[in-house]
Amino acid sequence: MAAATAVTESAPALAPAATPPSFGAFALRWYRLNHDRLRATAIAVLSLAAFLIVWHLLTTYRVVFFVRFTNVPSPLAVYASFAKAIHDPKFLMHIVLSCRRIFIGFSLAAIVGVPLGLIMGRFKLVHEVIFPVAEVLRPIPAIAWVPMAIMLWPTNEQSIVFITFLGSFFPILLNTLHGMSLVDPVLVRAAQCLGARERAIFGEVYFPASLPHIFTGLTIGMGVAWVSLIAAEMISGQYGIGYFTWEAYSLVQYPDIALGMIAIGVLGLGSSLLIRGAGHLVMPWRSK
Amino acid sequence: MSEIQKPAPRGHIEVKDFALSYETIDGSVEAVTNTHIHVNPGEFVSIVGPSGCGKSTFLNTVAGFLKPSTGTITVDGELVTSPSAERGMVFQQYSLFPWKTVRENVEFGLKMRGMPRSQRERAARTLLGLAGLEAFEKHYPEKLSGGMKQRVGIVRALATGPKVLLLDEPFGALDAQTRVIMQQILTNMWQRLKISVLFVTHDIDEAIFLSDRVYCMTARPGSIKAEIPIPLERPRQQAMMMSSEFLALRRGLMSLIREESLKAMGGELNDLGMQGLNIELQGHSLADVL
Repeated sequence: MAAATAVTESAPALAPAATPPSFGAFALRWYRLNHDRLRATAIAVLSLAAFLIVWHLLTTYRVVFFVRFTNVPSPLAVYASFAKAIHDPKFLMHIVLSCRRIFIGFSLAAIVGVPLGLIMGRFKLVHEVIFPVAEVLRPIPAIAWVPMAIMLWPTNEQSIVFITFLGSFFPILLNTLHGMSLVDPVLVRAAQCLGARERAIFGEVYFPASLPHIFTGLTIGMGVAWVSLIAAEMISGQYGIGYFTWEAYSLVQYPDIALGMIAIGVLGLGSSLLIRGAGHLVMPWRSK
Repeated sequence: MSEIQKPAPRGHIEVKDFALSYETIDGSVEAVTNTHIHVNPGEFVSIVGPSGCGKSTFLNTVAGFLKPSTGTITVDGELVTSPSAERGMVFQQYSLFPWKTVRENVEFGLKMRGMPRSQRERAARTLLGLAGLEAFEKHYPEKLSGGMKQRVGIVRALATGPKVLLLDEPFGALDAQTRVIMQQILTNMWQRLKISVLFVTHDIDEAIFLSDRVYCMTARPGSIKAEIPIPLERPRQQAMMMSSEFLALRRGLMSLIREESLKAMGGELNDLGMQGLNIELQGHSLADVL
């Protein structure tokens, strides 16, 4: 309250002045306007630092308190193995292959799931035919599909992409369908009495009105795609970051386990940021 | 219909023997019954009635969203069967496309007609300029106030040059001050365009201030109870709302509507089992107090 008053009071004093305000005043105003964001960033940095310190202490003193930190690698050991892995083409290949599987599986799920959801939302018969099958298959976790996928597809690579596809397909389909069911009928009427026919109503009203939910589906789908991919790679893979992590355990390369986990986390975060960025680009009316 | 009739003035609405009912488990329920109305070319006509009397349902049928159970609706002799750009509509909930800018909203009808981009952009800019909204052409509707949204809604409905304009309680969601300003803007616009207007409202002052003629509807099932010509001079100004002529019209319409509102409420009170109140209603004691 006090800060807000101070800003409004100082504004008329600064604005009419022909000379630019001093750097100090400018910095002060910038600080006041961005105070909340700066605070959040500072706390985030401190929180991460605290996490690293606790991790370091637990592993250095090999704490055993219900859980055993005896064999858990320390942050420094993980960093050392990261420094080595970054120059190792094999490690990079694991990452590239996982990303490729995500890209293909997720893209296929989006290319099939979004149009199917839109059509199911618009045409009752398609909904009535497809929905029961989708409802039966949906609760089966993607991991449970692994044996079936290996039987279905001729190569290991195809079955892993298939698992990734399945994981992201259902959230994308169901959220698109949900978005379609929430389209305001008044907007459809408004379009109709402006001369819009079926195709235009679909493209100009139903699709953009469903976009926010489509992107919710894509975000959730991307998360589930990574979960499914890592599980599939651990079970049946020969390459990929999930396989790398599991192999590290088998080969008693403990720092690599944590490195694999962190790499998975960073990749998952990066891909969901990509989706969010795409959402802002596609829906400019939603951004502040 | 025929070639000879074409040069006749545009926008003549004719509704004959109109009734609309819908099916429920207990059988067919009448929403609107035995309704005849007409709007002459260039005339401003309002329909007022108690809430739930079916006036919005009626307007939706004129727009072509619903089909009458009996009777016919024609505009310039052509039967209304489905929505069309010939009948522009303004909704209470604004109904602007949130994903389109103000200008893109106004352009929409022209785009549907296949007008090239540069041409419709120019047309939309001109229209927005007339409504004093040119500064907001690139804004998304979310950023606008209610009054501005509804101005865009009206401009959008007029952009395609419809024969008639249908308005369904367009100012119902606005605050009192904005509503008065919007009424003045609408009456000024109409004065210039001379388009036929069918306006639905429950606000008696609004109906009198804007209209050439007012139809008063009965409680459910709705039908036309009275038709009141409004002989107030044009152009209309807010100050007229204090004139004795205006107030006399207002009193007349008020008593017509009150009777119907009480009937509608009486039914509801009865449903709630408030017999005591209902007896009073039938004895007109509550009506006298109100």
